[in-house]
Amino acid sequence: MSPPVTNSHTGFEPYNGTPTLMVPAFAVGVLGLLATLGGFFATGAKGETAHAYLIGFTYWVGISVAFLIMQAIFHTAKAKWLIVLRRTMETASAVIPVFFVLALPLLAMAAYLYPWWPGSELTKGYSGLELEHLSHKQHGYLNNHLPIGIGVRHIIYFGLWTFAAWRLRTWSLKQDTVGGLDFTVKQRKFSPGVLPFLALTITFASFDWLMSLTPLWQSTIFGVYYFAGSFLAAFCILTIVTVNAQGKDLYGSVVKLDHFHNLGKLMLAFTAFWAYIAFSQFMLVWIANIPEEAPWYGLRIFGAWRPLSIALFFLHFLLPFFILLSRNLKLQPRKLAVVAVYLLVIHAVDLYWLVWPALTGDAGPTFHWSLLTAFFGVGGIAVGTALLLARGQYTLTVKDPYIAESLRYVQP
Amino acid sequence: MEATVLESWVLAEFPTPDALVVATRQMREKGFEGMDTYSPYPLHGGSEALGLPPSRVPFIALCGGLTGVATALAMQTWMNTIDYPLNIGGRPLLSLPAWVPITFELGVLFAAFGIFFGLLGLSRLPQPYHPVFESEEFRTASTHGYWLSVPQATGTDAAPVMDQLKALGATQVTFVTGEKE
Repeated sequence: MSPPVTNSHTGFEPYNGTPTLMVPAFAVGVLGLLATLGGFFATGAKGETAHAYLIGFTYWVGISVAFLIMQAIFHTAKAKWLIVLRRTMETASAVIPVFFVLALPLLAMAAYLYPWWPGSELTKGYSGLELEHLSHKQHGYLNNHLPIGIGVRHIIYFGLWTFAAWRLRTWSLKQDTVGGLDFTVKQRKFSPGVLPFLALTITFASFDWLMSLTPLWQSTIFGVYYFAGSFLAAFCILTIVTVNAQGKDLYGSVVKLDHFHNLGKLMLAFTAFWAYIAFSQFMLVWIANIPEEAPWYGLRIFGAWRPLSIALFFLHFLLPFFILLSRNLKLQPRKLAVVAVYLLVIHAVDLYWLVWPALTGDAGPTFHWSLLTAFFGVGGIAVGTALLLARGQYTLTVKDPYIAESLRYVQP
Repeated sequence: MEATVLESWVLAEFPTPDALVVATRQMREKGFEGMDTYSPYPLHGGSEALGLPPSRVPFIALCGGLTGVATALAMQTWMNTIDYPLNIGGRPLLSLPAWVPITFELGVLFAAFGIFFGLLGLSRLPQPYHPVFESEEFRTASTHGYWLSVPQATGTDAAPVMDQLKALGATQVTFVTGEKE
């Protein structure tokens, strides 16, 4: 029934806006990375710069993978309302191969991050019994003589993510010229098939990057925790981009208030989801109180890390939850974008809370300049690449068979 | 004090949901107040066309939820520290993390109660009798009809309102009067 949407219908042309944002993003990225890596190789603060780089890296790669999972979920659900927003998700997840390159510095830094890495000085912090336990239980996975396993796994992670993200994006870009249902059908068949593998890879990637900072501690829910925060951050980025994509050939001008309302609702939902997962993980460890598991939380809930842990509960859950409860707020895109920026900041604090205690231990939270340079370094490269990929393409899927329905979307 | 004994409404059926929404908006622009729409399923744009104020149910739900949270925290504190203190694995008697699940559950339960009973109360339900039940035609509102009700001062001539509704595309108009409550 819906009229066919053609280019003349929407008046959209491929986006070729001047790279006003792309060039500064790349500049910030390159400068940040140079400063961080320079700090690592040239100064004595190797532990600080390595941990800061890990925070920056996991922050941005998590968001990119979350965008991929988001697309796969929406394709699986055959959701139509978000089709006007889908190109942004496709662009953001197509950045993934860049993160494979950005993971390479971690090779050089690994000895300062992971006690199980061959020749790591951090091993000195462990007793003989602990090391025996470690090599007995986790040798096959973490390979503390030769790190082959983690290398192979990285190739699998990034291979799968790149394949899936570029598959979906290429189909979608082809549909921009030929239209029709064929590519929609392909996307909808491919997505449910790849979803379980995306879930497994992000889980194991979070084990490799973050959980193995303290190799004697395990939590099977840890992957979901990392995913929950990243997924929330991805919705925040999507909101900010959509609010600001105003102007010629930019899709923000055709997005309805109902789309923003939905984005706000999803932000609320995943704020609650993050809290649910965070609390589940905490309570299971706390109530079991097993010597192998408890120290990871003991470090964080007693002593110098206690204020930050309590602050996270209020600032990552209660405050944004009650702010996002308001229906009026979700109907004001500008204000919603402010909340999104806030949540993005607090997500960075959350990763800091995961990573930094492995470095400073009982000394508590400290600040190092490389936290900023690494965050903006990786972020600048990621954002710059996304903007580069967006150039020369439509900012919305102009010939998707359901784009008209998405543009007319009224929420139920 | 003089109580209104009888109340009256003009009822109009429209062929499609869109026609109902358009007619409702136009009637409201003409200055009619206290109207309501009836349809077999939720009507898109109906509450906007009626110009309804924001619902009070969310506030009732919030109050219910907070009551549930307070009840659960008070109950568990009293039980575990005063009424029947038990030392379990050396944990402190006041172990807040262990109480979160119950607190959450009661918060949700009381919020749901707030929504359910709040909605019943605000809608003045259950209502065993209403004059509109006497109208045979209006029964289609629960199967395939899209109806608009316009309050009419009892004893006045309803013909002008009925004519206006017909002009807006109503397929049939009827008039009911009776004791409301």
